[in-house]
Amino acid sequence: MATILSSVKVWYLSKRLISHETKRNFNKNFLPIKKTELIENFNKKIELLELKKKNELLPNEISAGIQSDFLKREFETAIQELEEKYYWKNRALVQTLKRKNIQSDEELKKLVEEKQVLLDEIKNKYYPEEINKDQKEEFVAKCVAIEESYAKKAEELTLKHNAKLEEIEAKTNHAIEMRDAKISEIKKQLAALDVKVDKGILAEGELLKLEDLSMHFGGLKAVDKLSFTVKEGEIFGLIGPNGAGKTTVFNCITRFYKPTSGKMHFKNKINNTVDLNELVVHNIIREGITRTFQNVEMIWELNILENLLVAAHTEYRSGFFGHLFNSRLLRHEEVVIKSKAYKILTDLDLLQYAYQYPMGLPYGILKKIELARTLMVNPKLIILDEPAAGLNDVETDALAKTIHKIREEYNTTIFLVEHDMGLVMEICDTVCAISFGKKLAIGTPKEIQNSKVVREAYLGGE
Amino acid sequence: MILQNKMCAERKAKLNAIKNHPYFGFVVITFLMLIVQLLRVSGLDIPVVLLRAFGFTMIYIIIALGFSILLGYGGLASLGTAGFVGVGTYVVGYLTNQFEMSIFLIVLITIVGAVVIGTIVGFISLRIEGMYLAIITLGLSEILKEVFKNATTITNGTNGLSLGTIVIFKQAIELNHNAIFIVIALIMLFIMIITLNLMKSPTGRALLAMRNSQSAAQAMGVSIFKYRLLAFITSTVYALLGGVLYMTYIGFSIPSTWSLGFSLNILAAVIVGGSQSIYGIVLGTFMIFGLNLAVLQQIPLFVENPAISVVFNGFLIIAVIMFYPGGLIRLINSMNYKIKTNYQLWKKKRRAYIYGDDPE
Repeated sequence: MATILSSVKVWYLSKRLISHETKRNFNKNFLPIKKTELIENFNKKIELLELKKKNELLPNEISAGIQSDFLKREFETAIQELEEKYYWKNRALVQTLKRKNIQSDEELKKLVEEKQVLLDEIKNKYYPEEINKDQKEEFVAKCVAIEESYAKKAEELTLKHNAKLEEIEAKTNHAIEMRDAKISEIKKQLAALDVKVDKGILAEGELLKLEDLSMHFGGLKAVDKLSFTVKEGEIFGLIGPNGAGKTTVFNCITRFYKPTSGKMHFKNKINNTVDLNELVVHNIIREGITRTFQNVEMIWELNILENLLVAAHTEYRSGFFGHLFNSRLLRHEEVVIKSKAYKILTDLDLLQYAYQYPMGLPYGILKKIELARTLMVNPKLIILDEPAAGLNDVETDALAKTIHKIREEYNTTIFLVEHDMGLVMEICDTVCAISFGKKLAIGTPKEIQNSKVVREAYLGGE
Repeated sequence: MILQNKMCAERKAKLNAIKNHPYFGFVVITFLMLIVQLLRVSGLDIPVVLLRAFGFTMIYIIIALGFSILLGYGGLASLGTAGFVGVGTYVVGYLTNQFEMSIFLIVLITIVGAVVIGTIVGFISLRIEGMYLAIITLGLSEILKEVFKNATTITNGTNGLSLGTIVIFKQAIELNHNAIFIVIALIMLFIMIITLNLMKSPTGRALLAMRNSQSAAQAMGVSIFKYRLLAFITSTVYALLGGVLYMTYIGFSIPSTWSLGFSLNILAAVIVGGSQSIYGIVLGTFMIFGLNLAVLQQIPLFVENPAISVVFNGFLIIAVIMFYPGGLIRLINSMNYKIKTNYQLWKKKRRAYIYGDDPE
């Protein structure tokens, strides 16, 4: 009874721990994005204010006859604009004359005269007649007053902006601290309980452990008493001839099949051992296992970016009603998760496809997008089902590099099934060979290459 | 001068932001639907048939939007829409006539009822898929129809139930059609906005993922159970709401309306318009339900021979489905694209004609 109670408590605490951790991470990611957004908004406001100020100052400055650089520049740009306008008019006139085969200087002369009139107007506008001294001083005073008022406004705006920035920073930091405190508290509680529940199933550095896994389809033994362990941070390859049961093993781990017998344990995101047999298929991803499929499974109606967002489905905290009314929380979450998606896309050189639809993209790119999709939830274990199937040699080489890159940059473990022996031998740290559901050999790629049993399985016995 | 230009650009950008806002189109549609009614209010002599055409179209748009969430996003086919709409009409009719309840309370009760019905159908749908699901829901709809016919104490049987005066806040008020029309338009706008939000949100994407590949969706953490239930509940709520509006607008409900034909018409509206686009559904619904009353009935040929209008409508549907399987919205989009590209080409040519070729 006590053990059941404690295991229930562990389950509950770990659930809470995961939720707290996702909330903390969300806040951490959200802060810089919100800050830049605020600063951009502020800059826009300041720009608008400057524009308004100049607009108000201009008539006074002209009246006061202040020959500032500003006024000169305005004058020059106005002239330039006029010149350009008359260049096009001139060109249009020449074109019509050419088309009609007439050569007349009169119309061109008219155009030049018209231009001259406008030029004079501009000159008069920017260099008005002298006004008397008292009036001049009055206008200068007005200018100063306007500038002062705008400076005051700008100052108020900056103060407000800074206060807002500080407020948001303090708020988010406080939230993060709160989460941290709660996380540490829960971790303490878990540590007190863990000793009883988690005894000796997974050793230090082990991530996934299968013990006597069997999967029978009626009389057919697809997997027969298979057991191996995957260590943390390695690239683990599962090989075997066609029909050896490799994909079945994958489907058992990700709970698409319910194995006939056997134990599967996994160290999840918060370093807590979970029994995979107790999980439902759509909750596997929450523990930190993501997978790809043998045939690419895209959402064809959504573009690549949105395809990545679907993969982050478990990261969203907003509920159905939040989605209905496009709540503030949802908008914030979308910003954070989109920035994450952009980062992953740039890491995998896929940014150019972000707004394209998957229909019609080359197969190699689609495979890469599936790989990118698995990274959206900071997984601990990525399961790749034949990543090189249907790729040419160049693409396979690129894939090997990408897999290495992912392992190093995202601190994950990779577990793959592959037929391309070259790829497996090149990238894997450990290889397990199976045939007819039974384990033949496990070891480094070289050991597997030299193994007699494996050779027999592939090439047939004597 | 330049400063003023800049300020003008600022204003233009603001206008563009309003124009490009996702809800702008919906407001325009609502306004277009309201034009006829507003003309009538202002004193013009507009035939009732035309008014009814737009009123019906708006109510059916709401129902079709619910159906599109089910079919276009969830990938679940259902033929039970008619039955659910019928339930909505009878609930509002019975509760108003017998208990004189407030209309707001009735809407609340309807939504709760819709959630219950949606949950039941959703549970059924977990085990059955595709055509079989359509047949099962069709059966459910037929059962409901028989219930409408035989539960005479509530539904008044085949004679049909007519609505008494509507109660708003404890006192009965005789609402005129003009007011109800405007209320329906506003509700349609609200539903459109909500549906767009839902379609663009993680929920909509999860539904699409489920429709494309169930195993991939599950691997990405989408619970098939939850989202199927959600799709059914949403579409049922929309259908029952449509029923409530229908009853308040027409004031009369008869079991023979809620037959397979109605469900098929809704299905046709969604398919013809384009099952994943709100604008498409608006177009499709107008084509199926509104076109006959609003346009064809104004032409003498169709008024004299009503059968021809049905045939004409049928041929129109066949033509759309044959040449544009993606729906009317696909046709509009491709036309839009063609017009835009041609306009740009024309602009280029025109420029060369006026100014001559570039000297460089």
